[in-house]
Amino acid sequence: MPTRHLIIGGGTAGLNCIRTIREEENGGSEITLVSGERPYSRMVLPYYLGQSIAESHVYTATPASLAAWKVKAMLGRRASALDTRNQTLTLDDGAKVEYDDCLIATGSRAAKPPLRGADGPGIHCFWTLEEARAVIAGVQPGSRVVMVGAGFIAFTILNAILSRGATLTIVEVAPRILPRMVDAACADLVARWLVKNGVALRTAATLTKIEEWRGRRKLSFKKGDPLLADVVIMATGIRSNLEWLDGSEIERSTEPGGGVLVDDHLRSTVKNVYAAGDVARGPNLLTGAREVHAIEPTAQEHGRVVGANMAGRDVAYRGSLVMNIVEVCHLDVASFGQWEDADAEVYTALRPERSQYRKLLFHGGRLTGAVICGAAGDIWTTNDVGMLKGLVYTGVDLSAWKAHLKKSPFDVKPAFMATRTTGRLLPQTILGRPSNSPELPQSVMVR
Amino acid sequence: MQTGLFQPSKSVIRVSPFEGYTSYAPYTCTQCAEGWCMTACPVGAIHINAAGAKDVIDDKCVGCKLCTIACPYGTMFYDGDTRKAYKCNLCGGAPACADACPTQAITYEDVATADWVGDFAAERTAIVLAREVA
Repeated sequence: MPTRHLIIGGGTAGLNCIRTIREEENGGSEITLVSGERPYSRMVLPYYLGQSIAESHVYTATPASLAAWKVKAMLGRRASALDTRNQTLTLDDGAKVEYDDCLIATGSRAAKPPLRGADGPGIHCFWTLEEARAVIAGVQPGSRVVMVGAGFIAFTILNAILSRGATLTIVEVAPRILPRMVDAACADLVARWLVKNGVALRTAATLTKIEEWRGRRKLSFKKGDPLLADVVIMATGIRSNLEWLDGSEIERSTEPGGGVLVDDHLRSTVKNVYAAGDVARGPNLLTGAREVHAIEPTAQEHGRVVGANMAGRDVAYRGSLVMNIVEVCHLDVASFGQWEDADAEVYTALRPERSQYRKLLFHGGRLTGAVICGAAGDIWTTNDVGMLKGLVYTGVDLSAWKAHLKKSPFDVKPAFMATRTTGRLLPQTILGRPSNSPELPQSVMVR
Repeated sequence: MQTGLFQPSKSVIRVSPFEGYTSYAPYTCTQCAEGWCMTACPVGAIHINAAGAKDVIDDKCVGCKLCTIACPYGTMFYDGDTRKAYKCNLCGGAPACADACPTQAITYEDVATADWVGDFAAERTAIVLAREVA
């Protein structure tokens, strides 16, 4: 009997897992995909909101491409209980699916704070395609939009909201913007840039309630005047979709962030059940500590590693590296690794006249984190961004270069080359083999 | 990778000066086995072309820049005018940089993998570094 793989969740992790299984074994096994939504990429929803792509562009699989992969797709259905002893998943409609091995990749959802009025009309999250459609319908030229939360998710849709002709105010409970993506010095630079570009910011603002007021939304705060808005977008964080595992034998972390505890093969405590992406608490590349990294690159790598292991390979995962990049009003902001670390040796450079900031963090000769900020059109901003990842990823010894990098944190390239980082990187692959071209659903290819 | 424009700041092969601009090394995409840019792309906009090079499909790229931080070699770029990522695609098998180079510093041939630029750069930065530390 062919092996029965069950993939729960059709996001980045699930789709990468399926593609990798097929790359490894040419269709010999059975694959069932259970997904609440038709597979699409959440990463590109901001571009749909900004009208630079059509809705058809967001899909990562079509009925035809799933059929070509010989995937039995159960779309619009959600997992409701996992019986690991009998290797059976129960769906929300009561149907049961048996498996030999299974992947938990149910991702996360937008989380709203418990706030009076947060479920009223004109108040949206921006996480799913359906939520994106609602925001698209609501944000019109001249709309007054208030975004609650100044984190990465909020910033990914900032350009799109402005491009729709709306005015934007961002309110944040923390004393500064981007509290989990960049340090305070960088946040200050970004804040000034945004204000210069017509975005209103209100930090250290505790929202107390939202109410309807003459057809608009009225937001009240602990301190200061209320704000009026046509549309409110709650970008107040995400929560992993794991409640459906309550009562199962799968061990989850009780630490903040939770997540299914996985080993270096991304197996849970039940060995034929894997977890990947936003729901997996896997190894951090730099520290080895198990953490949830709810970012696209981690979901992608997790998914591929699980796919290879399900197909019978023995692939150990080194771990994931936190990385984020976002462009706001033509300013690039990015960070890598342990960018905030009280034990690290830190070199910074600030060129306020060019809105440039650079921060490098070292442990001994090893680069362990970086923050990058600068105008997107400025070649000095973007020239070496990837190289910083290469240096962090290889952990190459930069001792001889520290004096130079301390003086010139923007001049990373000679250090990268002379430490032979290219040569160190070349043999490295996630799956121990060259990657294949992605197989693309035809309907997505043709516009 | 050819756009029909003369704009060195957008070149995907970038030349680094060494020893006070007395020697130079060109640096471009290695077409690495992992293809970090290709695997990172959320919409499959990077594929392997007929020449074996990782290549951006412009119609599919949304310009999210994830590939620019996923590429650990720093050879994935973003064009603010087209709002797309771009990279060396070996000009589909006939790299114009090799054709154009008057001193054969760039050639296009099938050889064993080696970090040419690493040794060159290590040798040519040693003196400068020693001076800086002193």
